[in-house]
Amino acid sequence: MLTPEEENEAEVRREDQENINKFARLNAQLHEVRAEIDSLKKELERIDDASTEIMMADAGKVLLFMGGAFFETSEEEATTYCEDTVEKYQERIQSLETEESEILEKQDDLKQILYGRFGKSIQLEE
Amino acid sequence: MSEAKTADATAATEGEENIPDMSLLSITDGENERGIPVVKFIDDVGAFAESFTPPASAELLIGAYTELHSKFKTYEISLTQKQANLKSKIPEMETSLALVKSLQKKRDDKETIITRYSLADDVYGKAELDLDQGSVNLWLGANVMLEYTYEDAIEFLSKNEQLARKEFGEVKNDLAFVRDQIVTSEVSMTRIFNWDVRKKRVEKVQGGGDEAK
Repeated sequence: MLTPEEENEAEVRREDQENINKFARLNAQLHEVRAEIDSLKKELERIDDASTEIMMADAGKVLLFMGGAFFETSEEEATTYCEDTVEKYQERIQSLETEESEILEKQDDLKQILYGRFGKSIQLEE
Repeated sequence: MSEAKTADATAATEGEENIPDMSLLSITDGENERGIPVVKFIDDVGAFAESFTPPASAELLIGAYTELHSKFKTYEISLTQKQANLKSKIPEMETSLALVKSLQKKRDDKETIITRYSLADDVYGKAELDLDQGSVNLWLGANVMLEYTYEDAIEFLSKNEQLARKEFGEVKNDLAFVRDQIVTSEVSMTRIFNWDVRKKRVEKVQGGGDEAK
């Protein structure tokens, strides 16, 4: 609850509303991007573990699980498969992380504008 | 409270004559390509309330916005579900595509594939695949499975994947749009409320002792 002194008389103009909407959109985007980074990182870990296992097992042939069935593949092929996938995921994580910092930057700009106009009458956090 | 009710009732009877649907039409501003209404932005709450005959009360306006808001929430839920659905379908398509591509590659390299395939949950059978036939069966859904050549299967799966991605993009846009409408209506409700508080405060000062209320 705000004291009357803290109350802000500033009317919400159309451009303010647009900025608020933009901020909310960015917030939703931020959550999505973060969730995706998390799940990719977990996946990456799994593949990393798999690579280590392949190296240690030295079995010659391994079974690769793809689309619901196991396929007999040579150790070499399985390693390449893992490496390719790791690379693909890392690229995706990197681009998502760039996106994340861009979102945060844009949000900071909007925060300055909106807090400047509405002071304590507006709350722009998570 | 009774005051709000009578205001509502008059608005409803009035509405039948000149404002067909006060609750939605007068606070929306057209709709987007997919039929989702656009919430009207109020430039000046006081003037907006005055634009109704009789002037709309804060309760009436907030009531209308609440209804619209819950409508948007329904859109949001169904779109979120759609998005989640596609999100799980796209990786499935990706693996299917990768699988057919690897079959094709093995055939071209004249290799054979030995596989353990799922017979039932946790039971796997062993099979050697005859790649020379160059055919793969795709599950199309609705209890239909069709035999394709590798090339055709790749084309079919890539096309489906592209379509799904396109749809995913559309759903994402729609969702962002709906969220804009939700935020706008939330802000509008707050503004109407604040406008009402301020109006009552002014009335109290001006009215002084006139009204005992």
